[in-house]
Amino acid sequence: MTGPRQTDYRVAIVGGGVIGLYTAYRLARAGAGRIVVLDRGSYLSNGASGRNGGGVRQQWETPETIRLAREAVEAYRRFGSEFGVNPWFRQSGYLFLADSPAEVERLQAVHRTVTQEGLPSQWLTPERVARLVPGLSTTGILGASYLESDGTLYPFPVVWGLFEAVQNLGVEVCLGTEVYRIAARDDRRLSVDGAHGRLDADIVVNAAGGWSSEVARRAGVDLPTRPVRHEICATEPLKPFLDPMVVRASDGLYFSQTMRGELVGGISVPHPEGLGPGMTTSAGFLVRYARAVLGLYPALRDLRVLRAWSGYYDESPDGLPILGADPSLPGLVHAAGFGGHGFMLAPAIGRLVAAAALGERTAELAPFAPGRFANPSAPVRNREKLSLG
Amino acid sequence: MDTSPAADPGAAPMDPAAPTILDGWPGGPLGFRQRSIRYHRPRAPFCGRGDCTGCLVRVNGRPNVRACQYRPGPNDRIETENAWPSPRFDLGRIFDLLFPRGIDTTRGLLRPSAARPLYQRVVRRLAGYGRFPTPTVPSPPSAARRLEAEVTIVGAGACGRAVAARLALESPGPTVILDRTDTGPGPAGALRLYRTTAAFLPPPSATRERPFTLWAVGPDGEGLRIDTRHVVVATGGYDANLLFGNGDRPGVLTADGALALAAGADRPPFREAVVVGGGARAAEVIDRWGEWIGAVVAPGSIEPEVVARAAAHAIPLFPRTLLLRARGFGRVTGVDLAGRGSGPTFHRRTDAVILALRRLPNAQLFFQAGARLLWHPRPGGYFPRLTDGGESSIPGLWGVGDVAGDPPEDPIADGVRVAEAILGHRPSGEARPLPRWEPTELEGYVVELAARRRSRGKWVACACEDVLLHEVEEAVRRGYHGIEAVKRYTGLGTGLCQGRYCLPDALLWLSVLEHRPVPEIGYITQRPPVVPTPLGAWAGLPEPEEESS
Ligand SMILES: Cc1cc2nc3c(=O)[nH]c(=O)nc-3n(C[C@H](O)[C@H](O)[C@H](O)COP(=O)(O)OP(=O)(O)OC[C@H]3O[C@@H](n4cnc5c(N)ncnc54)[C@H](O)[C@@H]3O)c2cc1C
Repeated sequence: MTGPRQTDYRVAIVGGGVIGLYTAYRLARAGAGRIVVLDRGSYLSNGASGRNGGGVRQQWETPETIRLAREAVEAYRRFGSEFGVNPWFRQSGYLFLADSPAEVERLQAVHRTVTQEGLPSQWLTPERVARLVPGLSTTGILGASYLESDGTLYPFPVVWGLFEAVQNLGVEVCLGTEVYRIAARDDRRLSVDGAHGRLDADIVVNAAGGWSSEVARRAGVDLPTRPVRHEICATEPLKPFLDPMVVRASDGLYFSQTMRGELVGGISVPHPEGLGPGMTTSAGFLVRYARAVLGLYPALRDLRVLRAWSGYYDESPDGLPILGADPSLPGLVHAAGFGGHGFMLAPAIGRLVAAAALGERTAELAPFAPGRFANPSAPVRNREKLSLG
Repeated sequence: MDTSPAADPGAAPMDPAAPTILDGWPGGPLGFRQRSIRYHRPRAPFCGRGDCTGCLVRVNGRPNVRACQYRPGPNDRIETENAWPSPRFDLGRIFDLLFPRGIDTTRGLLRPSAARPLYQRVVRRLAGYGRFPTPTVPSPPSAARRLEAEVTIVGAGACGRAVAARLALESPGPTVILDRTDTGPGPAGALRLYRTTAAFLPPPSATRERPFTLWAVGPDGEGLRIDTRHVVVATGGYDANLLFGNGDRPGVLTADGALALAAGADRPPFREAVVVGGGARAAEVIDRWGEWIGAVVAPGSIEPEVVARAAAHAIPLFPRTLLLRARGFGRVTGVDLAGRGSGPTFHRRTDAVILALRRLPNAQLFFQAGARLLWHPRPGGYFPRLTDGGESSIPGLWGVGDVAGDPPEDPIADGVRVAEAILGHRPSGEARPLPRWEPTELEGYVVELAARRRSRGKWVACACEDVLLHEVEEAVRRGYHGIEAVKRYTGLGTGLCQGRYCLPDALLWLSVLEHRPVPEIGYITQRPPVVPTPLGAWAGLPEPEEESS
């Protein structure tokens, strides 16, 4: 454990994943004062930020998400120059395959929304899909939405770059420091109890990813996020054969070939609700994933699965992130509800959460306000449904 | 899907003496035949058991086939991989020469930013072993099988077979015994599955009659699901690596490799080898190839059994000696050694280096199932915590033989003991203390080696992924501490051997670099599968009806 050096901070951030670190970075750059990041894990990236597929896309159903994603893509393009660490962001597109008339309709709507937002999205015929991904079987594929400036990156260097940058800016990043309890003090500041002992902060940011609702409970408030376990695997590395990330939204299948040559991908599998003890793999996942991949890509039959793992992320009721001040506990700021796409939005999220923590009221934050679920009788409409995993 | 009960399908073992691809290869079994992925360093067979990446070839359009395990037919088309135009004259070797300290893919290759797409293309090309599969012979259709067993024994060595034989006397229910190699005739009364590899053993489900499900892959890549009440892990041990300069050169191999690669031959694939190690395993190598051994070098002391055998062949002994560096390019031509305690450096000519210094357990199935493992400092490895009867911390999961830690004096008696505990004839008992080990002095050895290391030649800490030792040092220097962080920072341990050959050494080195005991360095989660397993094998299997979460 590397404990905090002081007991008094302007901002304490719970969770040292990509969201917590980006938020710390933005806050430190804004000169927000003393900042500490508290993470439970014994090593950096122990949460979803070290377990994800590195997919970065701007094709979404809601303009809100598209705008966040565009900002993030620009940030990841600059990341190497800004942080001196190479995330190997490779923009070779996301290909969303439509395998039913309903999917055609839905993805064409996405294609139109993305186009309206000013991005050069393309609608591909099955023949063009076959040309883009040689060897892919287009049987049953009716068309595809494609955006070349989407891509993939290697998540770890992003976390390292942020980790080093925030420390250079004076932020303390503590590992092995689980937060047990967050409570209001008499002077309206917050006290944070944990494995480190106790410290006080003006603002506490809940950036605990899959554990965001658990951390909220530890602060005595309700956050309507739901932990979801998602499994993923990598195969033995081959020479480059696949450029875009291939996605079939109907069953949540996705795969891409990393810079290291491994085919990394996953598929939706139902899991028991809640947080389990470990982040393990199920045989059911491997069976489903293998069947789905081989249905599309029969030539990969002999390609061997090298390792499989899983992680937790948190989903919000309407598919949009939950960003900003908690309606009932002053000083508590949430950065949660990212589903299977928090990494690709992180640079934009970090900026917005930092703004919220500093008390700025921008119109940009309105769609993400935690208070939007406050009225229990108002039905929650699922707005962003193009989520995977 | 074939769900027939445990009727012996008569799986005949293949002729273990049938030649593999290596036997017919120019240069013999240790000839260098491929290049490594990042720096295109020459590579040759190393482990002899199908785990490392030293002998990958393309067979009939299928990439990454282990030549040491494949017995070719007359019409098979065998091609080299990852070398152009040929392994010996490969153009990629320029990367090894141009970057003596390696390519920093984390911080380098950023400038000028206009060149990044080009860097991406080059780095992508360097990654990966074989090319996209273009099978010229179609794969056999998926013939997945499902079996139900009372006891499933993984590993048909002496111990595993003894368990099966003892169980057969009382036939408590169907017994399945499987082995990844071509084992000899198995015990009667058990369903024998040869060339079948256990890949995945999730934690048991308490609610089912047969709590364990073992997923395995058969000889033709077909998937196999075995539901079973007990699992006996008898997977044995393997000879671990030892890190030294240019230690990835062709001609450096493990004792497993030295004993397997010319198993049926009357002479070994070397003329004068240096054996590294002073214990039982070194003695075995001398017993087999004594005439062709030029020296015995040990990190620590040399046991009397080795001294006696060496005397019989007039082999010079070098106890308490540091192995600093291999010389030679396409094949080892010599080694630089130094006496411990700041002895002078000296050179020995040799055409092979046989690593016979410590055997570690193949304990991955215990990890996967969630059983407790403990660090044992002497050989430097994690061993399952077992009771007297051989039961792990998970009821119904047993270990016997080398995987349990102590090379059994009497494998038959050990197998019988475990079988009788399974049958309930004897109590499973208390957790045994960890076995005692002959000293290997590896921790002190690494401290001295670290102090004397010179930069000439690459120190390849992870051969599958071409990760260099100084990248590991760099990670530590930058504050990435512990094996979990270092694995992620460097990629060490994420290659085809599943970390078997790099992790044990990496733990020792990190302990030295971080100045803390190995258990504090931690251990990586052993991700399933145990061995890389084809997508086709998984696809043929039925989905499990319940989730193991
Ligand atoms: C398998 C998988 C694949 C994915 N693929 C993609 C993808 O392709 N693209 C994409 O953009 N996103 C993907 N995601 C989602 C993405 O990884 C997450 O949305 C993102 O990493 C969330 O970052 P975070 O910082 O919020 O959470 P995390 O990285 O999970 O960080 C939360 C941290 O909080 C810590 N913590 C929890 N409780 C406490 C406590 N009480 N006290 C102190 N610390 C605590 C945890 O230890 C953890 O380190 C994927 C996720 C998974 C699991």
